[in-house]
Amino acid sequence: MLVSRHARSILSVTTRMLGPAGDAEDIAQETFVAAFNALASFQLDSKFSTWLYRIAVNKCTDVLRARRPDAVPIDATGADDRGDTVGWQPADLATPHSELEQAELAWELDNAIQALPHLYRESFVLRHIEGLGYDEMSEILGVNRDTLKMRVYKARGILCRSLSHLEGAAR
Amino acid sequence: MTNGITHDEMNLLVQRFIDQELSGEERVRFVSRLGRDEVLRQRTLELEQLMLATARLPKPVVPENFVASVMARANPPSAAPVRRWWVRVTDAIWAPRRLQWNIASAAAMACMAFIVVGSIIALRVEPASPPTAAQPTAGNEAAPAVLVRLVVMQPNAQSVAVAGDFNGWNPSRTPLEQIGTGAWAVTIPLKPGRYEYMFVVDGKQWIADPFATEHNDDGFGSRNAVLEVRPPSGAQL
Repeated sequence: MLVSRHARSILSVTTRMLGPAGDAEDIAQETFVAAFNALASFQLDSKFSTWLYRIAVNKCTDVLRARRPDAVPIDATGADDRGDTVGWQPADLATPHSELEQAELAWELDNAIQALPHLYRESFVLRHIEGLGYDEMSEILGVNRDTLKMRVYKARGILCRSLSHLEGAAR
Repeated sequence: MTNGITHDEMNLLVQRFIDQELSGEERVRFVSRLGRDEVLRQRTLELEQLMLATARLPKPVVPENFVASVMARANPPSAAPVRRWWVRVTDAIWAPRRLQWNIASAAAMACMAFIVVGSIIALRVEPASPPTAAQPTAGNEAAPAVLVRLVVMQPNAQSVAVAGDFNGWNPSRTPLEQIGTGAWAVTIPLKPGRYEYMFVVDGKQWIADPFATEHNDDGFGSRNAVLEVRPPSGAQL
């Protein structure tokens, strides 16, 4: 079924874009509902997942625009309450010690991604969280490849600086 | 400036290395430079660590009720189930009814039936037009046919055909030919008029013509493309 097949990817995008404590799940559901309602306008020359990503990204952008500036998390402060509404499934973890280190690193990295400017964040999420190529990203975001590359480069630079205080990050 | 390249050039080089976009020669030069350029090595290491940490980020768990919630929002419960129009018509035709009658109305109905049957017998039956005939606008039957070229992009298709008012909606009668990379086309003669049609991809997918300027609902949840064929300039209607 289409929803089951794409739910995780779409929820991943909305969660990374809006934050786990926000309306990520609600927006992910809205994405599928909007897709159903607009199914007749879907062009067969585009991948269905590409079309879904485009709807999800547009909905996230609408939500971020509607948020008051003081409601948008600029950095990680105040996010320690762990009031997550979206559950998380850890990636491969080897030992209890590395588990702790990786959990801390993931927490820092997640906060750093949330603090990225919106345009950098959506590019980074599609490129490195979802693993899309620049051509498909260009189709989703309507922005040319070179611009997207620069956004991803800048996002990586900002994230590297944000994590530089961590000793031996990701090792 | 470090070892002959500017900071921006070095940054771009590292980013392209991470994206695996360096050519073979560029890659060899990059790796050899890594051995003697401490700054470049550090920068590359930081980015590689970032990529590894990103790949290890936990994935969100899809809640158990997610699909059910989507379906509930997509199909909100209504007071009465929506039935297709042809189901409603069929039900109306076959629904049992109790007829009330009297002698006067029965006699009137018998007269009507007599007149109708007599009229049918008296009329000379015209030969039916072939099912493949197009549906030209009334009054345009004598107008010369116009050659119409239909083109559609379907790079992954094995076959493409067109079905519409002009061929009895039979896709096997009008296949398209592949004319280039992903492009399919056919030229058909049509009398001036208004036609609806759809493309049929690989014999099973019915799609609307994305290049059509007008579409009509077909009553089955899809949309037909609409083609308006005008008489050639100077033609007498």
